[in-house]
Amino acid sequence: MANPVKDPLTGAETTGHVWDETLQEFNNPLPRWWLWTFYGTIIFAIVYWIMYPAWPMFGSYTKGIGNNITYKTDAGEEKSTHWNMRALLAHDMQNGEEAIKQQEYLAKVGAASYEQIAQDPDMSSFVRSYGVGMFGDNCAACHQSGGQGVVGQYPNLVDDDWLWGGDTASIETTIRGGRLGYMPAYKSTLNEDQLNQVANYVLSLSGEVADAAAAAEGQKIFQGEAGGCYMCHTKEGTGMHAQGSANLTDKIWTIANLPAAEAPEAKLAAVKAVINNGVQRKMPVFGAEGRNLSDTEIKVLAAYLQQMSGGAQAAQ
Amino acid sequence: MAHSAALSSEQYNYDIVKKFAITSIFWGILGMIAGVYIASELAWPFLNFDVAQITFGRLRPLHTSGVIFGFGGNALFATSYYVVQRTCQTRLAGGTFWPNFTFWGWNLSVLIAGLLYLQGYTQGREYAEPVWFIDLSITVVWVVYFLIFTVTLIKRNQPHIYVANWFYMSFILATALLHIFNNLAVPVSLTSATSYSLFSGAQDAMTQWWYGHNAVGFFLTAAFLGMMYYFVPKQAGRPVYSYRLSIIHFWALSFMYMWVGTHHLHWTAIPDWTSTLAATFSILLLMPSWGGMINGIMTLSGAWDKLRTDPIMMFMITALSFYGMSTFEGPMMSLKSVNALSHYTDWTVGHVHSGALGWVAMISIASFYHMIPRLWNTTLYSLQLVYTHFFLATIGTILYITALWVSGIGQGLMLRAFDEYGNLAYTFVETVAFMHGPLVARAVGGLFFLSGMLIMAYNIYMTITRAKQEENVSATAAAQA
Repeated sequence: MANPVKDPLTGAETTGHVWDETLQEFNNPLPRWWLWTFYGTIIFAIVYWIMYPAWPMFGSYTKGIGNNITYKTDAGEEKSTHWNMRALLAHDMQNGEEAIKQQEYLAKVGAASYEQIAQDPDMSSFVRSYGVGMFGDNCAACHQSGGQGVVGQYPNLVDDDWLWGGDTASIETTIRGGRLGYMPAYKSTLNEDQLNQVANYVLSLSGEVADAAAAAEGQKIFQGEAGGCYMCHTKEGTGMHAQGSANLTDKIWTIANLPAAEAPEAKLAAVKAVINNGVQRKMPVFGAEGRNLSDTEIKVLAAYLQQMSGGAQAAQ
Repeated sequence: MAHSAALSSEQYNYDIVKKFAITSIFWGILGMIAGVYIASELAWPFLNFDVAQITFGRLRPLHTSGVIFGFGGNALFATSYYVVQRTCQTRLAGGTFWPNFTFWGWNLSVLIAGLLYLQGYTQGREYAEPVWFIDLSITVVWVVYFLIFTVTLIKRNQPHIYVANWFYMSFILATALLHIFNNLAVPVSLTSATSYSLFSGAQDAMTQWWYGHNAVGFFLTAAFLGMMYYFVPKQAGRPVYSYRLSIIHFWALSFMYMWVGTHHLHWTAIPDWTSTLAATFSILLLMPSWGGMINGIMTLSGAWDKLRTDPIMMFMITALSFYGMSTFEGPMMSLKSVNALSHYTDWTVGHVHSGALGWVAMISIASFYHMIPRLWNTTLYSLQLVYTHFFLATIGTILYITALWVSGIGQGLMLRAFDEYGNLAYTFVETVAFMHGPLVARAVGGLFFLSGMLIMAYNIYMTITRAKQEENVSATAAAQA
């Protein structure tokens, strides 16, 4: 059956097998370059096996030679071992050019006061660079990537208004321990008229359009025992950082969505809704009991946030 | 030829080949529509419309199963049944019942598995998402497939077994092995679709990627090489370049693929030595893979002019070129230092598609254009449309993989960039924003490829319709005479 045939076109011989009327095969030798490249890959593999952990053997494996990694253990002892991923990571984190640079900066910033950081352009730049990543990975999910927050849910961090205080110590406390923002709901305490009056008063505090007569009544509720609003917001309505209570006399609205309201009626409705339902907000703990950021990381973040919100002014 | 074709349609079981071929095209279009849609979701996330069933996580396995097991699987059934009969010169074993059993069993399994994905039922194993009872039905179908194929080989009227059949055989055996071991799981109860894998931790991951990569190796490579070994020499009208090369690269390929799956798990919690073996065997696999490409492309020597005149040949040579390119890219990506950049980025997705669109789909398309007219004993309705399809498919594939090189390598470089303070220069979300442009281009590339498939469906539909009309005319003529 196997009668080799000479191909008229190339002169090469087929194996003599024929399938399905026309299918035939040449018996050309393996292309030289193919064979040598294949041998090349075999040599590559063997060299690789000699240098790195490769073959399982007697309950262990070949460790590789000429490739030891030296690194410091957590206890500070120097250790030398055959090539492996964990040692390589430790070695890189201890000896990598970038890692060393970052650790030196972190040590410097960790030892400096906020004032020193703010006055040193180099440290300030480091804080900005490191803070972007910290903020992106830890804060941006709620406060948004630009720090602008979401009205009604997450405070804006780039304006000058701070519910819990904008000095670095307060910011640090906020990050480390988290915050619980609370205002009671008034829907069962105040009737519809009273709600209207208080809301008009609150609008008048920041110069918004308000019914003067209603606002006058509202002031009594606000500053008296019927509403008791003054207890947190103060008689002047400027709020208290210790309580996280909002300053109602500026034009910055963090919960009532006034920025989205155009008409005076809509603004009134927005304020009324907040008084009606109260507020319950929670910022998680980023210190040791929560996300476990290090002291230096919290410090960098606090310094970064202060930069973001306008630096020196907020420091007061 | 017409004479022998008419004969062979009686000698061979063509009915089953026709069924699988048509169903393959159907699945191809369905799977690619799902693909284009999820690609668009990545570019424009609003497209999930908050409907759970069409979110990326549920549509993605529908896309992969649709194209791999629907399109690819049916194409392999069709061509293997066609090739084994013609090269063994014998009718398919199992009468009409058992081949039909594999047809309905396979397609119902894929269909039900797909519908279950949409409802959230999955094993959560990539390319092995079907739940446990579907795995069982696939196993039964596969054993029947194995028996049909083997018995047909045994009763062949040819002294030698043609090379294409070696590849089909290794594909059937390896797939059985992979499918069974990777899906070893304990169902929660007989009425629950949930099951738990028999393996745990790193061993589970390594079993899954032993399966995952060999699904690529044997299902998407060896089997389609079988297709190539029959249809390329047939279409070229030339002998296979080298019998010796086919033996060497067949055994090297079969031996080495089994070792490399762990390269999907570089730099994770696996023993270092497994990583080394996976990387080195991936490099060793380069030349055995290229053996198939050389044998295919060199088969054309003496008939190079066909590249100017025959769009089917253009599909075949382009497929082999993409095969060569992606089997070069793969070993490079398996090196740990390259993998540290490429892993978890779109580069991986692009690499898979240069194999899936460029190699698997194009060689299947070429085989269909060759085989379907012969099944219906006619000629193609339009060669011009095959040209159009060829250019749409090629442009689509190139656009697709180029876009994902930009996206993947770009993201990889951004994630490892440091600024002058030793800090990471970019947050994760900045890398996502960067990827938007390339992801749009990728979706457009997919759309090109899909539109080519629609043209093919039309061309095939017209070819078959015309064949049936001709048959009616000649039957009437015969009756009148």
